[in-house]
Amino acid sequence: MKRYFSLSVLIIFVVIGSINVHAKDYTKYGIEKDIPGECSYAAIDAKDYSGRTLNIITHAVPVMGEPTALHAKQFEELTGAKVNVVHVPFGDLFQRIMIPFQTGQNAYDVLFYGSLWIGDFNQYLAPVPEKYRNTKSMQEVTKNYRDVATWGDVMVQFPVDGDRHYLKYRTDVFDNPKMQEKYKKDTGKELRVPTTWEEYNEVALYFTGWDWDGDGEPNYGTAEVAKRDDLMFSAFISRAAPYAKNPHVKGGFFFDLETMEPLINTPGWVRGLELFVEAQKAFPPGGNNFGLGDEIFSFGGGQTLMSYSWDDAFIQAMQKDSPIRNKVAAAPLPGAAKVWNRKAGKWEEFDPPNRAPYITWGWTSAVSKMSKNKDMAFDYLCFFSNQANTLHDLQIGRFGVNPYRRTHFDPNFWIEKLGWDKNTATTYVETLSGMDDSKNRVFDLRVPGVGQFMSSLAAGVSKALAGQETPQKALDGVAEEWRQTVDRIGKDRVRAAYANVVALEDNKK
Amino acid sequence: MLKLNHKHFFLLPGLIVLVAIIIFPLLFTLRVSFSSWDVVKPGLDWIGGKNYVRLFEDMRFWEALSRLSLMAVGSVLIQYIIGFGLALLVWRDIILKRFVRVLFLVPMMTTPVIMSVIWRTILHESLGPANDIVQVLGFEPLNWLSTGGMAVLSVILVEVWQWTPFMFLLLLAGLLSLPDEPYMAAAIDGAGAFRTFFSVTFPLMAPISVGALLIRLIEASKLMETVYVLTSGGPGTATETSSYYIYIRGLRDYQIGYAASLSLTYLVIMIISLTIIAKVLTYKMARD
Amino acid sequence: MKTIYLALKYLAILLWTSFVALPFLWALTTSFKTANGVTGGATYIPWLQYKPSLEGWKVLVRTGGQGIDIVGPYISSAIVTLSASFLSLALGTLAAYGLSRFSYRLGFLKNSDITFFFISQRIMPPIVLAIPFFLMLQFLGLLDTIPGLILVYIALLLPIATWVMVDFFNNIPRQVDEMAMIDGCNPIGAFVRVILPNSLPGIAVAGLFCIIFGWNDFFFAFTLTFTKTQLLPVAVVALNSSVTPWWSLSASALVSVAPLVIIAFFVERFLSSGKMAGAIR
Repeated sequence: MKRYFSLSVLIIFVVIGSINVHAKDYTKYGIEKDIPGECSYAAIDAKDYSGRTLNIITHAVPVMGEPTALHAKQFEELTGAKVNVVHVPFGDLFQRIMIPFQTGQNAYDVLFYGSLWIGDFNQYLAPVPEKYRNTKSMQEVTKNYRDVATWGDVMVQFPVDGDRHYLKYRTDVFDNPKMQEKYKKDTGKELRVPTTWEEYNEVALYFTGWDWDGDGEPNYGTAEVAKRDDLMFSAFISRAAPYAKNPHVKGGFFFDLETMEPLINTPGWVRGLELFVEAQKAFPPGGNNFGLGDEIFSFGGGQTLMSYSWDDAFIQAMQKDSPIRNKVAAAPLPGAAKVWNRKAGKWEEFDPPNRAPYITWGWTSAVSKMSKNKDMAFDYLCFFSNQANTLHDLQIGRFGVNPYRRTHFDPNFWIEKLGWDKNTATTYVETLSGMDDSKNRVFDLRVPGVGQFMSSLAAGVSKALAGQETPQKALDGVAEEWRQTVDRIGKDRVRAAYANVVALEDNKK
Repeated sequence: MLKLNHKHFFLLPGLIVLVAIIIFPLLFTLRVSFSSWDVVKPGLDWIGGKNYVRLFEDMRFWEALSRLSLMAVGSVLIQYIIGFGLALLVWRDIILKRFVRVLFLVPMMTTPVIMSVIWRTILHESLGPANDIVQVLGFEPLNWLSTGGMAVLSVILVEVWQWTPFMFLLLLAGLLSLPDEPYMAAAIDGAGAFRTFFSVTFPLMAPISVGALLIRLIEASKLMETVYVLTSGGPGTATETSSYYIYIRGLRDYQIGYAASLSLTYLVIMIISLTIIAKVLTYKMARD
Repeated sequence: MKTIYLALKYLAILLWTSFVALPFLWALTTSFKTANGVTGGATYIPWLQYKPSLEGWKVLVRTGGQGIDIVGPYISSAIVTLSASFLSLALGTLAAYGLSRFSYRLGFLKNSDITFFFISQRIMPPIVLAIPFFLMLQFLGLLDTIPGLILVYIALLLPIATWVMVDFFNNIPRQVDEMAMIDGCNPIGAFVRVILPNSLPGIAVAGLFCIIFGWNDFFFAFTLTFTKTQLLPVAVVALNSSVTPWWSLSASALVSVAPLVIIAFFVERFLSSGKMAGAIR
């Protein structure tokens, strides 16, 4: 009897003890440790939302979709709320959010979407309350991503991710003395990381169609997102930006802000398109039908020498079991030695080449104005992006959460946590943080109806890529469509929105 | 005044339910097509026939329509020929009959949007098995999706894979219900296999053929998901079909008003051409 | 001669069988791959050519952020498809019998026009109907619910059911009805007691088409729901991310096809036993 008694006392103690430990220990959620802050695990654990429901729309699994669902589940367990998540492929995300907005249907509390839609969505979004703007984690978000989240003077998007386009290349080729020698012998030039898009095409073409990594399969020069309605417009903007964005000319990159006349068919843009068309020779088989997923598999799987777009392909290449792990490095996008000056109407020489980092749209989040659960919704987003969660998510490639806080730009994080090589980690961090310092940044066309502008652009560029039209004629067609679109939406409305973008590009903020 | 009697008991419930569900969307679409509903201006303002004027000058729409008619008619004809052929093959006793028949039916049961994704991985020119197989057979790798002509053929290929079973099922059921007498008569006449087919089987199958061709034409004309997944209408505009173009204008660009006018124009054109096709087919088949 | 003919026949069957089976076999092998198995180029045989993994399949059963829940959507899909198919069949059979046996005049519309009206409902591209259907269900308070989807699906399936059944009834001799009426049935009684039992094969075909089209509809299932009601195609497409996980997509494609393949076996029974003979003619 006594033995039983002591045993049960022991059990009770163990149970109580373990409950105690659990209340403080959040590592069961996969994080390393809870980091104190406004929305830490402990802070959210203290809230009680039982009996309430939060509805979230997000991207398909895994990119952004998986972390959304993961943190939703944790949020449920911590607060007692019920969280519903729906996953939607990127191509249909816009209409899935827009239809309920326009018809006044309170369908979702929290939305994850592409930050370029801010021009269309801002009127339906709840501003981020001061409480959340002043948190330490928010203060650490770099200027670029706070700019991206802001409409006029109001922050309406909640930064959860940082995105940009940059160049990715294979170090086992570029740093290989044998390859350097061979390249020198065949072309008479030094093999180096391209600094202009002309050079990029040249190097890419040289390394196309032969097996330079010795795996028995032919390799190719460049993998690019070239499938028409699959984010190809962003690839093209990356390519054209240095030729068309002249640091000496203010007042608009896509349009002349004064007249709202499209600049898309000016010589700088046309040059960018000519080089895009030319680059197709260095694509892998089927390369002109590559969507983002294909680009990731192609470069990330070791098929191509170079690539540029979002982080994903780079992260894929750096996965633990990847055959080309630590054989890749990052660099800023190539630039242009000759840049069009539209005010002067002539080309200008640049040495070193002109760079125009494209602060590409990326994943962002927001709370609907119609939501009846704004408190809970912002708590969720704040929890989603709390320091412990972000550090966890950054380490999982498929999540698509990429550096956006100053603290993320520390090479040691990538070396220690993920076992990256010093060179890989340093070039990665420097490339990313370097974009923040640029005075010649390019942003997306953050105006109402951005979808119409970009789909016209994609259609025109695609025609040129397919050889149906010359680059000049294709872009003339785009310019004409843009003029009509501006007229339909209203010149003043587009101008007012575009002024915000130009202010960012001209560093007036 | 409509006098209700037993015959209305049959037709009216279905008709009323269908009309009740469809009348509002249809009228609404008609009204929207005269508005400028888009991403910044939700609602029903009145802009007259502007959308229709724009549509007549929109070459992309008309090009898509002619491309669509080619792809739809082409793929439906191929489906019909192959479907008929397959039905004839498994009509009489063969080994593994049940297994083969079920297998032939299966593609139709799959979700088009999902199978298109699988097909895209198959036709992937670097990573998919299609080019592997082509090379094993001793040919050069093909540009399945990256040149205009091939991309159209690839879309048709996937459509044929998915929908030939539809033809196969209808035609096989038709064959199985054919009466025996004409065949006996043909055998007594000493007709060969070919003559029997053209003088007996084919004429007997005419009504079912017309029905099957028509319904497939209607369905094939909505060709969109395959295009969306395989090529996004590219390269250039090589595979852009009407439905895909309407989708781009409507839900991607979010020009709801304009897309409504495109749809209604499409609807009218389709109803007229399908009526003509139906008349011609019925006439021809009846004469044969 | 006969041998050559037989050889050709089986060769044709073999060729088409491989073509039909190709996507399934490819999906099967892909479903056991990981990123490395995919990016290395086309491979077919596990262990020999790539290292198999169950990752693709695990995604389907995991919940809570680690994948998608496919069980709930499976059930919702079954409920919506079966209810809409049943209602469409009931209404469609009645309407088809009427159109086949009696003559109607609705204004200038005659029987053939009414039949065409039914079929013509399938011509409209669904894209533009998204917003009006959305507003309609919003007005009825049926957005994001199973009854709402059933309502919309009836508009999709009723035309098909009617089309199949009109053809079918046209092939049943009128004498059958007349005999029944001589036996003392009124037209409705004749339909219920005599015609209906003889139409089961036709109803089976019509039902099959309804189920196929209902189960596989993607667009309306997608636009008219938010977070609570999810149908199978929508849940599967939720895996089509910017990094397409070929493996889990393949696994889920196979899983979503499975129930309909079972239906295919049933339909084949009808074919073999000849019961369906005349179902469509």
